[in-house]
Amino acid sequence: MKNRPSHSVLAALAISTIGLGAILVEHPAQAAESSETSQPDPMQFVRGAKAWANNCNRCHRMRDPKELRDDQWRAVLSHMRTRGGLTGQETRDILAFLQGSN
Amino acid sequence: MKRPRKQTGMATWLASLMIISMPVLAQTDLDRLTELEAKTTAMAEELAILRAELEAARQEEPESELEALRSEVAVATQTAQRAEKSANEWKNTSAVTHISGYAAAGFTSEKNGTDSFDLVNFNPIFHFQYGDLVMWESELEVRVADNGETEVGLEYSAINIFLNDYVAFVAGKFISPLGNFRQNVHPAWINKLPSAPSGFGHDGAAPSAEVGFQLRGGMTFGEQSRFTYAAYIGNGPKLEGVGGELHGIETGGFAGDKDDEKIIGGRISFLPVPKLELGFSGAFGDAAVVENDGLDLVDDPSRAYTVLGADLMYRWNNFGFLGEYIQQDIADNASSLIPMGGKWESWYLQSAYRFAATKWEGVLRYTDYTSPHPDESQEQWTLGVNYLLTPNSALKVAYEVNDGLAGAETDNNRWLLQVAYGY
Repeated sequence: MKNRPSHSVLAALAISTIGLGAILVEHPAQAAESSETSQPDPMQFVRGAKAWANNCNRCHRMRDPKELRDDQWRAVLSHMRTRGGLTGQETRDILAFLQGSN
Repeated sequence: MKRPRKQTGMATWLASLMIISMPVLAQTDLDRLTELEAKTTAMAEELAILRAELEAARQEEPESELEALRSEVAVATQTAQRAEKSANEWKNTSAVTHISGYAAAGFTSEKNGTDSFDLVNFNPIFHFQYGDLVMWESELEVRVADNGETEVGLEYSAINIFLNDYVAFVAGKFISPLGNFRQNVHPAWINKLPSAPSGFGHDGAAPSAEVGFQLRGGMTFGEQSRFTYAAYIGNGPKLEGVGGELHGIETGGFAGDKDDEKIIGGRISFLPVPKLELGFSGAFGDAAVVENDGLDLVDDPSRAYTVLGADLMYRWNNFGFLGEYIQQDIADNASSLIPMGGKWESWYLQSAYRFAATKWEGVLRYTDYTSPHPDESQEQWTLGVNYLLTPNSALKVAYEVNDGLAGAETDNNRWLLQVAYGY
């Protein structure tokens, strides 16, 4: 057992602090979502199609937008956002494309 | 002459009678007339009333029908609105629950070994999402062991909190972000061959999972370029000794840390163009032997633990290319019960080509795995052919040419058949 605050404890604190710091700033995902609700972005579908074509077959074969419902794509895209390192904006764009194409 | 006198008398009598009776007859007719007039008047009044009622009824009846119709329309509208709300409410929920995952079944024919249907895997992945802020995801690995028992493992289970567009905080058990194969390619429906490259399975050269905290995300810059990152701190691996030497590095992810030493690591990748990804991984910390010959070992001194990796991915039309190098290194420690450390390293190159306008795909992979244990080291060529049933399922046939320690299992060539499905 150790009595000193080890570097790993400091690293855990650093990760937590960065995380908490990031959550205190504006949450662009929600901000963009609310603005989209009031003012649809006509180019989002186009951006989503491009991001879908560029990212989704990096690791696996392209999935047909018709495979899943709108709500299912929401969960899948959140999973792929973390796994594929997508930005929030790319995730929303691809989601708009998939939901508009199924 | 009497006769005329008699007739005259009769006539006189009749005339008198008529004269007498005339006022009586006149009075009766007047009464009747009056009575008739009264009746006629009453009937006219009744008729007027009936006409008025009829007119009123005529005016009221269409209004009541209209009212009834309006009521029916209102009910139907409410019903339709409720139905529409019910039909669309799933689109507008804050929380989403979703199940995906993958499954595989396979057959192996091994030279100098047995032929058996040796693979039944079922890996459900559960997603629980709230808005665009939080998602908890968990993957189970359910498989049939060779003794017939069902084995269940928790591949990962972690919360993802999307702090902003570029940062996600992950806490729990997660797939090791070191390298590319383990975190992105290993699911059976994604892996283009029935087997993992040597050293990239469990307890080989590539770490499998970790329990701890992680920050990860990505950002774009320029027209096409992007950058992704993952940084974590976790409990790290467990070291086990068998027969006086390190048996291996267990990296399955542990909710406990007997040596009280954490590991810090991560991966960055750069994509100058969308179809080319270059990744670099590293993890550093200390690890200690916590088990020797099946018995717990307490207070064995720790030694340095290092992971280094680099990976490459490139796609061009129907051509796909993967390459990866990874190593785990345990330093020596003379004061440990097991002083000798060791290095587990592996690398592979894989190319795949999907024949245009068909569902056929050819794959070739070379792997070189080096372990401190000679019977684990292996050089491997794998040639495979896939038939892509759907975008998420495939029939895979492959032949492995394995070169390992003579007489060891790793030296046996194998035929592999697999059916994989991603759902």
